Amino acid sequence: CSEDFLDVESKENIAAEDRDENFVPEDFVNGIYGMFTEWPYAFSYLGITEIISDNGDKGANPGGTGADKHFLDDLNFTSTVPSVEAMYTHWYKTIGRANYAIAYSELESTDAEMQKRIIGEARFLRAYTYFFLVRSFGAVHIQGEITFENGEPVIDPEADLSVRNSKEEVYNYIKQDLLYAMDALPAKSEYSTANLGRATNGAATALLSKVHLYQENWADALKYADDVISSGEYSLEPNYEDIWREYSENGSESIFEIQARGEPIAHGVQQYSTTQGARGTSGWGWGFNNPSQSLVDAFDAQGDEIRKNATIIFAGEILWDGREVSSSVENPRYNEKAYSSANAGAGDGDKNIRVIRLAEVYLIKAEAANELGQTDVAETALNKVRNRVDLNNVTGLGQAELRKQIWEERRLELAFEHDRWFDLIRTGQAEAAMAADGKDFKEKHNLFPIPEDQLIQTPDMPQNPGW
Amino acid sequence: QETKTVTGTVIDQNDVPLSGAQVKVIDKEIFSVADFDGNFSLENVEVGDVFQVTFLGFKAQNVEVTQQDSYQINMVEDAGQLDEVVVVGYGTQSKQDVTGSISSVKSEEIIKQPSSTATQALQGKVSGVNIVNSAAPGATPTVTIRGLGTALGGRNPLYVVDGVPVSDIQNISPGNIESIDFLKDASSAAIYGVRAANGVIIVTTKKGKSGKAKFGIRSYYGAKPTLNPVKMANAEQYVTYFNEENDAIGGDRLSQDQRYDTDWYDEVTHIGSVNNTSFDVSGGSENIDYFFSYDYYEEEGLLIGQKFRRSTITNNNTYKLFDNRLKITQNLNLAFRDETPKPFGIFNTAFRQSPLVPVFYENGRYGGAYYNRTTGEATYIAGSDESIGNLTSHGNPVAALNFSNEKNKSFNIQGSVTAELEITEDFIFTSRFGARKIFVRSRSFNPNKARYLANDPTRTEEQFEGLKKDNPENTQYANNSLRFNSRESFKYNWDNFINYKKSFEDHSLDVTLGGSKEQIGIGMTDSYTAYDVPEASQYWSIKHATDQYDKQVNQFSYTPTNFLSYFGRLQYNYARKYYLTGTIRRDGSSTFQNNSDYWGTFPAVGVGWTLSRENFLEGNEVVNFLKLRGSWGKLGNANVPLNTTQILTDPDSGSQNYVLGPDQDLVFGAYIGSLARNLSWEVVEELSVGLDYELIDNRLSGSLDYYRRNTENTILEVQPLLNSTFANRFFDHGAEVINEGVEFAVNWSDQIGDKFSYNVGANFSYNHNEVSNVQRNYDGQLGGSTGLGGVSTKRLEEGQPLGSWWMYDVEGVWQSQEQIDNNASLGGARPGHLRYIDQNDDGAIDERDKVFLGTYIPSYNYGINISLSYDNFDFSVDGYGVGGNKVFNGLKNARIGGENITADTFNNRWTGEGSTNSNPGADRDIQASSYYLENGDFFRINNITLGYTLPSFSNFIDNVRVYVSAQNPILITEYSGFTPEISGYNPDNSNAQGPYGRSGLELDAYPLSSTFLVGVNIKL
Repeated sequence: CSEDFLDVESKENIAAEDRDENFVPEDFVNGIYGMFTEWPYAFSYLGITEIISDNGDKGANPGGTGADKHFLDDLNFTSTVPSVEAMYTHWYKTIGRANYAIAYSELESTDAEMQKRIIGEARFLRAYTYFFLVRSFGAVHIQGEITFENGEPVIDPEADLSVRNSKEEVYNYIKQDLLYAMDALPAKSEYSTANLGRATNGAATALLSKVHLYQENWADALKYADDVISSGEYSLEPNYEDIWREYSENGSESIFEIQARGEPIAHGVQQYSTTQGARGTSGWGWGFNNPSQSLVDAFDAQGDEIRKNATIIFAGEILWDGREVSSSVENPRYNEKAYSSANAGAGDGDKNIRVIRLAEVYLIKAEAANELGQTDVAETALNKVRNRVDLNNVTGLGQAELRKQIWEERRLELAFEHDRWFDLIRTGQAEAAMAADGKDFKEKHNLFPIPEDQLIQTPDMPQNPGW
Repeated sequence: QETKTVTGTVIDQNDVPLSGAQVKVIDKEIFSVADFDGNFSLENVEVGDVFQVTFLGFKAQNVEVTQQDSYQINMVEDAGQLDEVVVVGYGTQSKQDVTGSISSVKSEEIIKQPSSTATQALQGKVSGVNIVNSAAPGATPTVTIRGLGTALGGRNPLYVVDGVPVSDIQNISPGNIESIDFLKDASSAAIYGVRAANGVIIVTTKKGKSGKAKFGIRSYYGAKPTLNPVKMANAEQYVTYFNEENDAIGGDRLSQDQRYDTDWYDEVTHIGSVNNTSFDVSGGSENIDYFFSYDYYEEEGLLIGQKFRRSTITNNNTYKLFDNRLKITQNLNLAFRDETPKPFGIFNTAFRQSPLVPVFYENGRYGGAYYNRTTGEATYIAGSDESIGNLTSHGNPVAALNFSNEKNKSFNIQGSVTAELEITEDFIFTSRFGARKIFVRSRSFNPNKARYLANDPTRTEEQFEGLKKDNPENTQYANNSLRFNSRESFKYNWDNFINYKKSFEDHSLDVTLGGSKEQIGIGMTDSYTAYDVPEASQYWSIKHATDQYDKQVNQFSYTPTNFLSYFGRLQYNYARKYYLTGTIRRDGSSTFQNNSDYWGTFPAVGVGWTLSRENFLEGNEVVNFLKLRGSWGKLGNANVPLNTTQILTDPDSGSQNYVLGPDQDLVFGAYIGSLARNLSWEVVEELSVGLDYELIDNRLSGSLDYYRRNTENTILEVQPLLNSTFANRFFDHGAEVINEGVEFAVNWSDQIGDKFSYNVGANFSYNHNEVSNVQRNYDGQLGGSTGLGGVSTKRLEEGQPLGSWWMYDVEGVWQSQEQIDNNASLGGARPGHLRYIDQNDDGAIDERDKVFLGTYIPSYNYGINISLSYDNFDFSVDGYGVGGNKVFNGLKNARIGGENITADTFNNRWTGEGSTNSNPGADRDIQASSYYLENGDFFRINNITLGYTLPSFSNFIDNVRVYVSAQNPILITEYSGFTPEISGYNPDNSNAQGPYGRSGLELDAYPLSSTFLVGVNIKL
């Protein structure tokens, strides 16, 4: 009887042993998606993908550093800057949630079809996250997977947290996940509408194509890009600027995007719009991540008015929804792709973040085809993207020139879609581009430093070269 | 001269013979000891001789031999220190028989310093006990006994109020407390086993005494100004500083011609007040002793509108039945609290907001931190081609004060019923049921629309209405929100124990055996939020809210903690010379349900030797009493988080949820925060030795103690590795914490003539704290966030004390760009920034160059108490001081740009190459560094009181004393902020305290106030 008195039941949170009564594997997959809406994906993410590049300037006011955004903008950051650590950590914790969800689905699923989809989603999200890690840090630790023993989750004891797997191993791991996901996931049209927004077969294929692009497996990149294009699931939005409207969220061009809804109780990407909103009286945000003069010039050099105006809010402009942006706001330009009409300044923004869309797949196709010497195929894919924004067809360039044109197209088409920095590194343009932007790019900047707090706790783990 | 033999009888006040009383003729070798009937005889004495009668626990008496041959000596009990009774767990003991280390404080000491919670008043009064106060009304002081032994387990001592173990004594009026006993060492605290590791504080409330009814009335009123205000820069200085900063970073310049010069502290603070009035009646008869009191305490804080009120009703009765064979004691305490809190963050904003910002603009709108970038004037109005910038990122402190609209009320019932049955003369059986029930209700009203308008004077009501229309479900655009919270909690304990006392010849034995069953934290909480209620506060109810928005309801139950305990204590002494105490407690706690075993055993032994009863000291002129004590024991700290692996869900917008589908409906998700480790209680092993003495006719008394406490398995909050699976911090045993210290107390009291008496007391406690044996990967817990840019100031590390400061060490100020280019510097360094030491000589400044620079915890503290009384006047002074600690001036440090500074910071700043190498310029970084870490030593006069007792003027009134008193009138410190005594207490953030919270970090700490008061005590 005495033992009974001491056996108190937990009431606030649901104890793990009671999970069967309340949780289905899908809950844990939803929990992975939720990670992409967290605060690091607003501010830290901006820092290491955009502000650091030649497209974005820190913005705000001179004293407003956003903790370390000035260091990133000026390329004088160290292994202790919080933005890098925040993303590194957040990515690993996302993977951790995916690992748990996969193990839990394997343990608890009753419906084989559903189990496959759940694991497919989890593996897609895991691959997407490892792709960030390998691009940012190169060789990284592959986190131990989870199995259940006697109902208790056990993390693979072989996986030593201080070991960095090779870049090749990480890429292979990513590809295995994506191949599984391609097979397991329904096409966009096959989902019930209530599931709109979940990872699809198309998303896995498109990402796999992009992964191969980074590995310079041109044939595979081309093949998977073609699979997406020919799937019949996607088509380009006729008007470029429509891509970022609320009504085109998950629209015809969208292959994968992070879902956000601003109204409570709901869920948006934490302050993604606010951090980039116009600053000052009549403004609605903090004014970070301003489109740079260099980007404006790049648009102008191509005569690209449509994409320039869809990408950049200029001070004093009247926006498409009628909002007058005062000419007295603090910065001259702001990121329009992050602008949310309905609740510009809200903590839970309603802006879906576009991750992969068809236009990028066309550009991957163009690049891969060009590298394979299929100039016609490359030009057709490229011009598909250019024509939408009333730019002339590109024809008759040599392979090298065409390559440059495709890279430039990526810059303008995908500006502020968190691709620029990785693209600069991938294509080896970083040093020149950063020099043109007045920044001193060094060899070490090809990878971010492993965060110092990781190395303090796992002293055996080697740092990236130069850091 | 003729000698003779005299005889006599020694009796006490109740005519009981005092067997063993010593009778000695002064200056002669003649003495005797009273026999069983109290009789003695002295031979060969002369008329005119003086003989002294002494008996432990009674005042010595000198009697002159006269013609008379027979004497009756009526001994009077001595209220002297050693003969007090101290309250130990499940019993009482004569102070001189104690083998542990116990400090007792009586009622007079407690009420001397006006306070809402008794422990506040005892700062500097008890050796080995460190009390850190906050001047916030209703604040809970931090009480640490013999050093902090835990990083994140419960840090508070266990309070036992009239036999009811509770977590605090905020509901007890200090005026109703008879005594407080601090069980400091393992030997005395072990009887409370698994909850005694932080020491035990036993509070005994007043009870009636046999005799006629007595009435008491006590009242005081005081004013509370800020003790140590910091002078801020004025508008002109601010503009200069702002311009220097912006010149360095390429920002705008402000014009010196400004319209406003606001002193924000003046705008948000005023002189607080305190008022306490109480009434009590007590008395007793053959069958019933009674005590009743009503006490009202009211305090207004420094922040305008902040208020704390408490009424307490105490009723303690003892019923004596069957010729005193059965005694039933009933204690009941009711406390009603009523608070209007205000956010402490306002102190922070008031420090930072620019003086150029007006409280209100001319048009009545709240001032904002705006300036015209073209004209450099602090205004929100821009002409054509002009743009507006922000001076600071802070809001209007007055608006924040006005928009905070919160009320908290609580009702606390606490009490116990104790039945003591005398089975035989030696055997007493006691059964006690104690309980505490708390109801808390709070209401907060948030004027969204007013806040929206106050944030930007160009906004209009129409805009808000527009947003509201466009976002019909978005509660952000509701005019206001109203939230109710209520919580109730209950705890009870049921103790049964027997006590056996027996003396035979010189042996005496005292045995206590018993068991206890206890359940704490039974309760639930619920909250309701609704939107758009009418503006008038009488309609602030959920009923009057609009249906446009979904109302939110949340409700959950707490997980209670259950304890089952068995305890035993054996006390033995031989001739009150040699003492042995053995204590054992076996505790089962439901907190540890994941363990195979719920049970822990906590043994302790204590030994004592009263040297003054040995022949070689007996009758010594100087040494009246001398006792050596030693003890060893183990204690537990069960106040650790429940260790089950929990699946985290959120009914709202948590990170586990997502939106899907064309309408983006919320879908709920879940995740595992962290896997639970197999936690157990923390175990403290303590070795302690001490001695008590009374010298020179008992005028000099005191004690001296040494202890070494080792928390063998300190629970750390471990930050998982960055690349590991789970994100949430988890708890695991991972280090040892060693506290080693000495403490002493000394007191001298004497009387000169029959009108003048005085008392001088001092105590000193030294404690060395160190974390050792940290498990691999487990150190590095960060804390003490400055709230800016992820800057932390504290870090847990082996070999360092708990709560160690960890930051850059400053070696000067960068004088020129050239100097920066040629040396290791932090990224983004500019001339005028602080220059940090490159500790590892790697040519770069980063986290690896941070160093440990001591702790916020003082290594010593001391108290000095002087009291004098002359005729009807009494006067006393209490002082308190600490040393060996560092405090971090976060207000000075954490600055993004544009914030106001103190006048000192302005006057001492770097202004260009060669101007100074010790203070940074207006442009500086936000890093924490030794520059902002200041010496935290201070000495403060806690209390000066002058009282006058009126000569008797009425048969009806026994006694009237009037007094004036100054609390905290003088503070001696080198610290540049408001107060070096920073507990971290913040009612809005229960995690703010503790070694890795904001303790020792001044950011939104409550400034210290003085109190000047007048009072009167009347006894009828």
